[in-house]
Amino acid sequence: MAGSMSQSLLKGIRVVDFSWVQAGPWVGRFFANYGAEVIRIESTLRMDWARNVPGDPEVLNGKHHKGALFTNVNCDKLGITLNLKHPKAIKIAWKLIAISDVVIDNFTADVMENLGLGYDDLIKIKPDIIALSMPVFGKTGPYRNFGGYGNAIWGMAGLDSLSGKLGQPLTASIALADFGPNPTHAAIALLAALHYRNRTGKGQFIELAQLESTACWLGPSVLDYTVNRHTATGHGNRSLYAAPHGVYRCTGDDKWCAIAVQTEEEWASFCKAIDKQELIDDIRFSSLAKRKENEDQLDWIIEAWAIERTPEEVMTWLQDAGVAAGVVETGEDLLLYDQQAKYREYFVTLDHPDGKTFCENTTIAFSGTPARVRRPGPVMGQDNEYVYKEILGMTEEEINKCYVDGVFD
Amino acid sequence: MKTENRALNDIRVLDMAGSIGVYATKLLADLGADVIRIEPPGGDPMRSIGPFIEDRNHLENSLFFIHYNAEKKSITLNIDSERGSKLFKKLVENVDVIVESLPPGFMESVGLGYPVLRRINPRLILTSVTAFGQTGPYKDFKAYDLIGQAMGGILHSLGPVGGPPTALGGNQAYHMASAYAAIGTLIALLNRDVTGKGHWVDISMQAAMIRMTERITLDYWLYGQNRKRIGGLEFYRGIRVRFPCKDGEVFCSALGGAGAEAMLQWMESEGMAGDLRDEKYADILRAMQGIPLAKGSQQKTTGSFASSLMSMLKYPEELLIHIEDVWQAFLLTHTREELFIGAQQRGVRLLPINDVIGVCEDKVLNDRAFFVDIAYPDLGMVLRDTGAPYRLSETPWKVMRRAPFIGEHNHEIYHTELGLSDTDIKKLTEAHVI
Repeated sequence: MAGSMSQSLLKGIRVVDFSWVQAGPWVGRFFANYGAEVIRIESTLRMDWARNVPGDPEVLNGKHHKGALFTNVNCDKLGITLNLKHPKAIKIAWKLIAISDVVIDNFTADVMENLGLGYDDLIKIKPDIIALSMPVFGKTGPYRNFGGYGNAIWGMAGLDSLSGKLGQPLTASIALADFGPNPTHAAIALLAALHYRNRTGKGQFIELAQLESTACWLGPSVLDYTVNRHTATGHGNRSLYAAPHGVYRCTGDDKWCAIAVQTEEEWASFCKAIDKQELIDDIRFSSLAKRKENEDQLDWIIEAWAIERTPEEVMTWLQDAGVAAGVVETGEDLLLYDQQAKYREYFVTLDHPDGKTFCENTTIAFSGTPARVRRPGPVMGQDNEYVYKEILGMTEEEINKCYVDGVFD
Repeated sequence: MKTENRALNDIRVLDMAGSIGVYATKLLADLGADVIRIEPPGGDPMRSIGPFIEDRNHLENSLFFIHYNAEKKSITLNIDSERGSKLFKKLVENVDVIVESLPPGFMESVGLGYPVLRRINPRLILTSVTAFGQTGPYKDFKAYDLIGQAMGGILHSLGPVGGPPTALGGNQAYHMASAYAAIGTLIALLNRDVTGKGHWVDISMQAAMIRMTERITLDYWLYGQNRKRIGGLEFYRGIRVRFPCKDGEVFCSALGGAGAEAMLQWMESEGMAGDLRDEKYADILRAMQGIPLAKGSQQKTTGSFASSLMSMLKYPEELLIHIEDVWQAFLLTHTREELFIGAQQRGVRLLPINDVIGVCEDKVLNDRAFFVDIAYPDLGMVLRDTGAPYRLSETPWKVMRRAPFIGEHNHEIYHTELGLSDTDIKKLTEAHVI
């Protein structure tokens, strides 16, 4: 069966996921998609923001609107309700952690400790536990209880200043840090720690300060400052090391194609492809330095060529000539027209108790068999019965009492 | 010694990744893997990418190369030659992971495809990082970072209203592809810990970038609408989030959104709240704070795509502008640090915005000793770079060794490990195999 091997790569690993909203839940998704049992802990008293995004309650054409962001980031996870503020809840959480491998949270620094779920508590229950905490400013220092959202973290970490035109830093309307550096770094640290535990039997605590993790994506620009005292800035779509390098308007409404020429060989191919061979030897463009010097003129020539064509035509025409070019794709392009996305099934629709829902697929392919997302994120408390009864061995009576007492709120 | 106890100490990696995948092997190296970078004789093309030390364009001066290759070893090898291919196979016998980013099919074409490598070493994990992956109609397309951002669906939404799509700087599509490559490699490694068998991990930069787009495709699927470029506005409420203050800029929506009451009290205590307590602002302030609107109000809390996403925009523009003006006037009376601490202590998630200087001199980062100093005795320099993305209590992240010079470890690997004589090495060097 296609994908079945990939779906069980991490079989046998159990993750207790206390995280919420975006940056934290994305970490557990890497585990869930490849076969680990990831149990997301929620409470109706402190609803995950993502359950209401988008917030429209109606179901249109069988498509389930409400909380699709939640169903995406929590796909393939089990979901249980447990009110950690209830005095009886902590023992149940400990019982679950005692038979688990990984614990994840993304609260500010002291929250887990105050709940009785700090690392020092966890190792008493499960000596080889691997625990990940990802507060914005880390677990120590005067700012440990301060917080921030993914878009602001990206800005504080300096990354806005690398984008946009000179002197006009670009702020994205997406909380990039929640999708890029933070969940990926967290997953990498956890996976490496699991490998170390396989070798030595030892668990450990992982602290990921989201500000630090995000600052790592400044790349060499920190060295450029500390060594050369240069402050990197944005260059629009241009590059200091390549030209032409830009986004060009094409035929159609808000249609664009990106083109990047890095080598002299590609420059010659590009000139031939746009039927302007004379540019190869044109004194204005005969080297990278020259092309950078006369980049406005160069871009005008390319714009005039591109505007006569659709972005798909520009892309395929230039790619056939060995030049890097790509449609600046919209959501519509990715869903309907991108042949690669279709072929490799980058998106899936899934049955949800409230109608069909939509999910990004698993992204990484192993030995030719991409894992496919099997289940959308759980509805609130969807797996209470399985987890409390089958995994923890609680009786019907105990479970009912927990419901009545508000332990499972 | 505890500091040398690292999570991936038992893992050896051959690194053949270009810019698209080189961050993956940096991540593995800093976690303790023994990463050997294979450069073509004469040096890696990556050594020609700037910035350069003191702006001197020289192969050993590339800060791009230095940043991504500290902690690694370097050997030179031309795998596209008979003797080179033989040596490569010899190396493969004793490695755990290969990370490569050659065009799909290239390794096969030189007789080093995954089936061949797996026969030599069944435990081998081969991670291939390319723009579009190993399969599909676009697999042979060429792409750099900009194209990854374009076809990954994020670029179209970035940039000013009415202006062109404007890309993220700093090679973020490469970082994203590399991060996914590291994750894929480590998932395969964990599986190998159990099964003893390796895997071929296939990473597509486009697919990885799609994971950065939050709800761009979701919104098209739900509503049939494409995301518009809205400049620096925050998507959910359609309002400004960057504001100048006394000594720079801060990131926070007007009055701190949900924390507006606390911020208003602060502003009032300094006589800076203007007329915002006036009844005509009551509804908009409640909406900002996410409080259900008063009974009898004409506004609905839920609704169609446009209104629910740009919820603030349904209020009279002049009201919002006035609130922003009062907020702005207050911000200009305080420094970034005062605002950061004052707001955070009131539960408002305001953060200062930094440029690269600001990051390097940031108090929070320096107090926690985030930056790492790497000694380059040969250059008589100590280079200060970004530090650990994570802190592992038992197996610390660490950079202990500067980036290698071209072929610096040829003798160690070819002579000491593979047993080649000095004469052999000399001959292979003359033949441009190493």
